[in-house]
Amino acid sequence: MNRALSLARYSPWQFRDFALERGAAILIIGFLWGFVLIAPMRIAIGSELTANGQASPLWAILLQGVSAIVSLSVLIAVNGIVSTDRKLGYYRFLFAKPVDPVLYYAQLFLVAMIGVVLSMLVLAILLRTIVPIFSIGNFILYVALIYVAMGGIGFFVSVATRFDWVSLAAVWLGSRILRGLYGPKDDWRSKAVELLPPVHKLDAVATSLISTGSAHVSDVLWLLGYGALFFVLGLALLRWGSLAD
Amino acid sequence: MAGLPAIGDARSRTAALVIEFRNVGKIYKSLLGNSVKAVEEFSLTVVEGEILGIAGPNGAGKTTLIAMMLGYLHPTTGTVEINGMHARQYIEQSGIGYLSELIAINPKWRAETALVRFATLAGIPHSEISRRVDYVVDLLGLAEHRSKKVKALSKGNLQRLGLAQALLRDEQILVLDEPTHGLDPVWSQRFREIVEDLRRPDRTILIASHNLDELQRLADRVAIIDRGRLQRVVSTGYENPATAEATRFRLTLASGHDLIRAVFPDAEDAGRGEYDVTVHSLVELNAALADLIGRGALVASVVPERSVLEQQFREAVGESQ
Repeated sequence: MNRALSLARYSPWQFRDFALERGAAILIIGFLWGFVLIAPMRIAIGSELTANGQASPLWAILLQGVSAIVSLSVLIAVNGIVSTDRKLGYYRFLFAKPVDPVLYYAQLFLVAMIGVVLSMLVLAILLRTIVPIFSIGNFILYVALIYVAMGGIGFFVSVATRFDWVSLAAVWLGSRILRGLYGPKDDWRSKAVELLPPVHKLDAVATSLISTGSAHVSDVLWLLGYGALFFVLGLALLRWGSLAD
Repeated sequence: MAGLPAIGDARSRTAALVIEFRNVGKIYKSLLGNSVKAVEEFSLTVVEGEILGIAGPNGAGKTTLIAMMLGYLHPTTGTVEINGMHARQYIEQSGIGYLSELIAINPKWRAETALVRFATLAGIPHSEISRRVDYVVDLLGLAEHRSKKVKALSKGNLQRLGLAQALLRDEQILVLDEPTHGLDPVWSQRFREIVEDLRRPDRTILIASHNLDELQRLADRVAIIDRGRLQRVVSTGYENPATAEATRFRLTLASGHDLIRAVFPDAEDAGRGEYDVTVHSLVELNAALADLIGRGALVASVVPERSVLEQQFREAVGESQ
């Protein structure tokens, strides 16, 4: 049987694992976080947003909240995506079968993306019942973008290290802090921080993409390109590195 | 049995080469710059139809060697090839049956679904999967455990599940690392029967084990490794009966105790009708036994003091092991 077909037939199992081990967690955390964020202003939110729409200050708060939930969901989805199999030794039986680890994990990354998008879709539908001006389509576009941008880096980190969630969180937050500190300066450090993940573009992209469905092409390309580059680097490391090291 | 077997004599030199370790070495380096040589200059070939044992004390490099064969570790030097291809390339194309020393299967999976998953990855057609799963479940006595979660299985049952997933597909190559670890005597014996049934002219089986008795019974040859180096390859058969070395056997007589010294003048009485005798070849042993039986003695058993392999292992690794 064609190996690619065998691997494709395994994708429902990968999705099942995602749903049970990560999807449920994403939904619960996303729902609770959203509830904590929205519940205090629930009464005001409907009338305020109906009256002032996206010009309302509540809209900005809402975007900050959903953007944070998306980032956290991606972190949950890609955390240990490769490193868990290596840490716990599951790779031993998996890859004695006629399976290419590069394709296996590339497929898993894609399956997790579908899982994150579906989880966010459920939460977006719930949010929409309270905030009718919230565009589900725009939000899903944003989720997909952030999954590639952040998930690509997370994937690489999961291949390269066994402490991936700590590393990814450190890279993500560290980039924000370093860009904030050195980005505005006009010396070598400002040029050096340009190489860090473009997390500073997230807020602008979130606001623009979720509100209007469009964003600066250069910002989107930066985010997509950075994530895609690291995803490919992760695949290359899988191809040329050792699973058992 | 010292010296009786030929050392390093492959079962069939004309059989096709399947696995080739060529000058393989592995050095582990720590972040602090310390390095440990796990495997050094290891060269060995395994042919079609052969069962090769790999024996060695703890930390000898057996598992590292297998990890390199599966492509899970890259050798620092040398190459491992299967059927003329880079080993990892072969596995990704054809797959092998592999039982690892540590049975690592997601504990949340159920035994049966674990097998279905592995069968799917192995490329078994959808219509065949349940039949193959039923077959290995029956073969390894897992019927009553098939709906249990992996975490609920005992060590022995987990080992059997590991073996079951290795046997799901009719693989040309099987690699079994400590296959009877955790199995009770009944299932250890059953395992030996299963491996004997798996022997086929076009199949190659590698078994890494501490259990020399098991390797003596199953393997055609055994590679003895110590401190990362191949010490010697021992043929477990009895092709070469002539030897200059003395070998001790324990002889048990049911009757005719008074006849023993007439045939074996140097026999030592070990009590309870048992005698330790020393011979230099199987021909000499058989001639003496025929003489003894001819005189009217009733022989209950003849057991070598040490198996072929045990003797060779002790010589290669040292009595201290």
